[in-house]
Amino acid sequence: MNRTDAALQLSWQALAKTYSTRPVYDQLAGELHWGEVLAVRGPNGAGKSTFLRLLCGLERPSAGKIAYQWQGQTYSPNTMRPWIGFVGPDVALYRELSALEHLQFLAKARGLAAEQAYWCELLAQVGLATREHERVAHFSSGMALRLKYAIALLAKPPVLLLDEPTAMFDEHGRQFVAQLVEQQRQHGLTVLATNDDRDATWADLVLTVGAAARG
Amino acid sequence: MAKPAFWQAAWAVAYKDLQIELRTRYALNAMALFAVTTAVMVSFRLGPLGLSRDPRSAATLAVLLWIAIFFAAMNGLSRTFVREEEAHTATLLRLNVPALAVYLGKLVVNLLILALLETLVTLLFIGLLNVTIAKVGLFLATLSLGGLALAGATTILATLVAKADGKGSLFTILAFPLVLPLLIIAVETTELALSGGTWASAGSGLQLLAAYTIAEHVAALWLFERVWEA
Amino acid sequence: MLATTFKWFTGIWLGLVAVAMFLWVPAHEGLGNVGRIVIMHVPTGWLTSVAFLFSAIYSWRYLRHGRARDDALALAAAELGLIFSVLATVTGAIFAKVVWGTYWNWDPRETAIAALMLIYAAYFALRTSIEDRQRQRYLGSIYALLAFVAVPFLIFVIPRVTDDTLHPNCAILNTPNCQGIELTENGRIIGTVEDFKVELLGIEQQADLTVATVSILSNGTNYTLKPSFNRASNKPETIERLPETLRDVQIKRLVGEPGNQTVEIAIANTGNIGLLTEQRTLLTFFASLFGFTLLFFWLWWLRADVLDINEQLVQQGITI
Repeated sequence: MNRTDAALQLSWQALAKTYSTRPVYDQLAGELHWGEVLAVRGPNGAGKSTFLRLLCGLERPSAGKIAYQWQGQTYSPNTMRPWIGFVGPDVALYRELSALEHLQFLAKARGLAAEQAYWCELLAQVGLATREHERVAHFSSGMALRLKYAIALLAKPPVLLLDEPTAMFDEHGRQFVAQLVEQQRQHGLTVLATNDDRDATWADLVLTVGAAARG
Repeated sequence: MAKPAFWQAAWAVAYKDLQIELRTRYALNAMALFAVTTAVMVSFRLGPLGLSRDPRSAATLAVLLWIAIFFAAMNGLSRTFVREEEAHTATLLRLNVPALAVYLGKLVVNLLILALLETLVTLLFIGLLNVTIAKVGLFLATLSLGGLALAGATTILATLVAKADGKGSLFTILAFPLVLPLLIIAVETTELALSGGTWASAGSGLQLLAAYTIAEHVAALWLFERVWEA
Repeated sequence: MLATTFKWFTGIWLGLVAVAMFLWVPAHEGLGNVGRIVIMHVPTGWLTSVAFLFSAIYSWRYLRHGRARDDALALAAAELGLIFSVLATVTGAIFAKVVWGTYWNWDPRETAIAALMLIYAAYFALRTSIEDRQRQRYLGSIYALLAFVAVPFLIFVIPRVTDDTLHPNCAILNTPNCQGIELTENGRIIGTVEDFKVELLGIEQQADLTVATVSILSNGTNYTLKPSFNRASNKPETIERLPETLRDVQIKRLVGEPGNQTVEIAIANTGNIGLLTEQRTLLTFFASLFGFTLLFFWLWWLRADVLDINEQLVQQGITI
């Protein structure tokens, strides 16, 4: 870790999101720095996932601004994407492709070097070592989630966004995520959106959303 | 991102789509079946020699050929985008691939599919309707330019349709008025190629077709990212 | 206040146009009462294209700035475009049935307006198939722009579908080609002079005279006439009267050797010329053009306001 890397900072100001008639939240503001873990909490439908989608530009805020400061430059959520790893139920996988083919495709698409050994190591790390040639159609939901982690980690991203990080996982999987979040403190920042109290214990900061909407 | 990485990304998208298409063959099967049905139906009533005795056969055959190509294409060309939205894999693409690389990758796939389709339709027409092509070069030029133009106009529409809710039928409705100029010229030039017209007589038509192709591709490149991120 | 004045002015103006159209304008010499339809047909046709242009401009503005008002204007323009295109098509079809004997014949302008109607229909089909309002505006605007790119090609392409237009250009402006048409043996044998379709059936030589057999479609009937040209004096010889009109058909000019001769057929006016060369008709026509344009803008803003208000109500959770 060098000084410019450590300068990574995520900030959001006066953030508001409205779904045609329903305001989700209004006037959110905050900051997150290198090494920190933020947990977004709130009841169902309060906009936890939406917050994560806003952070990677999958949705546009109705008002307000989100910015990443990294290596001396400012990035919008859209332009930051090459350095973001995203895991969540919104991301679906190709049923017709195998786990390894997913990594091959996405590595090429992200302009990364082709490193078969690294991909296999990554798959082993998420616990898919023996299933790498199997098509995703045959995967259980827990296995699919593991593959999503492998995809998110492919580019060793400094920003990790985890939506319901352990929803499909057994105790073993939960430990894997706990370990990953701990490791990410050395590599960048993490944002979790979760309803699980156990997940929230990993976080340094908690953002509670949805109180206003429930009024 | 660096330039070589961009082309590599576009190619990765095309390769992935071809891989999936070869494993499922949704688009290819639908299009091939439509092409075969059309050709068989026409041949079945008019017979292999029925049309060649007609003095207006070149015009009729040119129209039938483009009906088969256009409607078969409408069956398959929206598949690559609609599939991404229906299976929710579009999010994965948006997070990992630059928008224009997605567009170019899908365009390449659609061009390949169209080339296959045009070959199939032409062979069926030659086999079942006894079509003789007087000017092979002109015929191939028309099919290639027509295919390029059709792909240019419809690939972005496929993105649009994939984002709308009434996906299936909407594609043809949206595409038809936009590709009308292309169809009119393509039919005219195909008729010339079948009946032995000269390159000179087809020249202005081919020029218009080329201009249309360029305009549609430029508009699509300019608007794609907005549709894709909508 | 201004809006109310504008509304009343437009209403009274169009009322006067309607009265003038039926009572003040004389029946057309050649076309009869059906000639009056032009006073309504041309403005509606023109506003169809204007609406298409505005729809594209405001769609583009919406994509640039993201203001809902711009999209409301684009949508309102498209709606009016559809209404005016239907009016233009219906009035045109009535005129065509009476004058040319058919409601529809893929005349270039008919093809163009049919394509515009298809585009409008597709635009509305797209919008209604999307539930999310933001996305509806966004994708609608993009489709409007894509269509705007395709339409100029249609204008270039369409004249290729049919050789000639049956549309009475000379009714509006008396350009040189309204005077006559050059037809050639074994070449171009069909064309139009003003509102008449002219077909060259043959040319024969009789001593110094060259006699052309031409078929002219006038008021839905084909007349075969035989005007002639004197090659010795290089002047028209026989001049034929087109039945039931005040028109004289003659060979104005003759070029080329027998077997490959070109004749210029002219249909001269001995009485009243064109539709709009008559003063009262011309005046009413321009008044109508102006009135319909006012009507268009008034309806356009009105509709956009309604869409705006509707949007605000939806924002507050009220649905009507």
